[in-house]
Amino acid sequence: MKPAALAALLAVALGGCASQSVSIRSVPPENPAAENAAAAESAAAFAAAAALAAEGETDRDTREPKPAPPPITPADAPSMATYDPFERLNRFTYRFNARFDEAIFLPVANVYRRIPSPIRSGVHNFFGNLSEVDSVINYSLQWRLKLGLRSLGRFVINSTLGVGGLIDVAAKFKLPGAPTGASTTLAKWGVHPGPYLVIPLLGPSTLRDGFGFLADYGTSYAIDLGRIYRGNVSWWLGGTNAVDQRANIDFRYYSTGSPFEYENVRFLYVRKRLIEDAGLRGK
Amino acid sequence: MLSAAAFADGAVPDAPAVAPPDAMPVASPDAPAVVPPAATPAAAPEALPVVPSAAPPIVPPAPGPATGLADSAGLRATVFGTPPQNMAPMPSRVPLLEINIAMPWARPVPDVFWFDRNLRVWFSAQHGPAPLAIVISGTGSDGNTSKLSILRGALYGAGYHVLTVPSPTFPGFIVSASSTGVAGDLMQDSRDLYAALQQIIAHLPRRVRITDIDVLGYSLGGANAAVVKSIDARESKLKIHRAVMIDPPVSLFASVGRLDKLFAVSIGSGDDAIEMLYRKLYAQLANLYRASDRVQIDESFLLGAAASALRTDQEFSAAIALAFRLDLVDLFFAGDLYARTGVVVDPNHPPKVGDSLEETQRILRNKPFSEYFARVFAPYYLKQRPGSTSASLIADSRLDIIGDSLRGNPDYYAQANSDDLILDKRELTWLRDTLGSRIVVYDHGGHLGNIGERQQVSDMLDMLAGRWPGAAQ
Repeated sequence: MKPAALAALLAVALGGCASQSVSIRSVPPENPAAENAAAAESAAAFAAAAALAAEGETDRDTREPKPAPPPITPADAPSMATYDPFERLNRFTYRFNARFDEAIFLPVANVYRRIPSPIRSGVHNFFGNLSEVDSVINYSLQWRLKLGLRSLGRFVINSTLGVGGLIDVAAKFKLPGAPTGASTTLAKWGVHPGPYLVIPLLGPSTLRDGFGFLADYGTSYAIDLGRIYRGNVSWWLGGTNAVDQRANIDFRYYSTGSPFEYENVRFLYVRKRLIEDAGLRGK
Repeated sequence: MLSAAAFADGAVPDAPAVAPPDAMPVASPDAPAVVPPAATPAAAPEALPVVPSAAPPIVPPAPGPATGLADSAGLRATVFGTPPQNMAPMPSRVPLLEINIAMPWARPVPDVFWFDRNLRVWFSAQHGPAPLAIVISGTGSDGNTSKLSILRGALYGAGYHVLTVPSPTFPGFIVSASSTGVAGDLMQDSRDLYAALQQIIAHLPRRVRITDIDVLGYSLGGANAAVVKSIDARESKLKIHRAVMIDPPVSLFASVGRLDKLFAVSIGSGDDAIEMLYRKLYAQLANLYRASDRVQIDESFLLGAAASALRTDQEFSAAIALAFRLDLVDLFFAGDLYARTGVVVDPNHPPKVGDSLEETQRILRNKPFSEYFARVFAPYYLKQRPGSTSASLIADSRLDIIGDSLRGNPDYYAQANSDDLILDKRELTWLRDTLGSRIVVYDHGGHLGNIGERQQVSDMLDMLAGRWPGAAQ
């Protein structure tokens, strides 16, 4: 029954949206007053932080100075062309993802966004809290024990004081979330990202990060915290998690209208990951 | 696929590419009140008079912009926009509808543009009867940019229904609604837009009651807005009342020529220059990231990085020039594909969905607008318009083509900045002379850098509502 429903959904996505002449749909309203207030606040905070940094008074820089690695030079930048041996398959998957997103994923996420935000953030925190376990494991494997301890602390505090993870109490205790996963562990171990890979439903990735994703899922599945990965409700919870993730990503396929979107996304994604890798080696 | 030549006389293909004719609902009697029956879907772009009245005088471009290409404050305002603390009061909530609509005259959709089949616009409706403000986006931009969001907020808060639409130079518009596929001609693009607006307004939700229609736009969209109003003055399909241009170009080609020049000055030319800029930015970002204590690159990191990467006038100029070039790449590609000019697209073997476009993009990002004009735009339009010359094509894309209306009709308004890098002194003077008291020129704001600012919004609303000194009641 469930596979059949999924297959039907996929067929709709694959077939593309039926060409209607007019479709009108309600999308989440804008809140310009609140957004502007938030922008003013973050601009002020940013200016304050910049001023503080300029004075060299950041109190968190009390750790012993590490020998600075040689700076990255323009010559170290990867070529502007991107290694993409799976391009044909990737492009097909990208288009599938775009259609699936447009036909199913985004409309569902837009409905989800109508739910009052305290409830949504509860859902978001709940799934974020579950993933702390995977972060603890991976920070340990990366030998970044301080961060691992932070994730562990967050998990303990939020699972108890935060009512099973629904409230991010730890962030209020100056323990903001810093999730990690197996792809970062592989990167820390020196595994090269490998070729660009577009994963069905998930989006841009690399071969290494694709394995990392499978490893993260495998870990969560093996631990099966709260029986949500193998229990009767796993489909619902997995779906809710996916919709919550989507609703928190501000990206719309082909909103640029550009025929080069595949190239542009690939360019930015691969370089983002390479910079994150380079940062990992310096830490 | 139909060749571009099939549209030589501006004729409309009778077989719609997307929807069968009966799939297009006919406007019902309770369609928005202001729309006359003539504006129902039967309307489509008609044969096009090239120049509406007497041929405009060709004014040779004056050297240099109003205050020099590298006015520091203007460059910064252009990049950063209005600081949040200077923003006009905004409403707390603006409802939003997304409308995807197929144009009955749409041409077959090329394989690589499969996602641009429908025109996508955004609409915010008031509860009761209200005037409609149509806002047109700037060069290469869609109908939901952050600038449009600001204008939408200001207009909705002032009691307008707000419809935001893409620029006719946006790829999604070129594919779904252009009758040529070759963007950049002020009159032709505005005609396509005018036809599209009739379709959109006829299909707005039934409950919407429209009491009046005004049109505005920023940058190239400002020029489009004024031309759309002038077309409507003859055809009366929408009965547009007032038009407000925000930072419009006076000569489209002179303005983009300045952006080409900005690119050459701040980045250089050729693949090496772009590669050098990229390598420099990459190293800068990588070092910043490594020095931070972040575990991943996120938005707040990028904001901070932008602040440290953008310090000199040259860096600000490069950012502006690059943003424009990225839009140009798309427009160039679409034009070359539709006009079958063969610069990067083989007309007989256009690329398919699975084909790599990386090399095409690499070639195009080195090409300035002048090359688009010389190799795509001019060859296409010279064939369409016997007797025209390159110089006359350039003149046809000046605001002069509606100069008489701008001078004589009290319903045209403009807002401009004296440090706008797309204008030179002579053009600014032309705008002042032509519009008289119906233009306000701010000292500062660069290009679009004061949209949403208190004074800009309050002047814009006064102009739209006929409260501006000297306005016709």
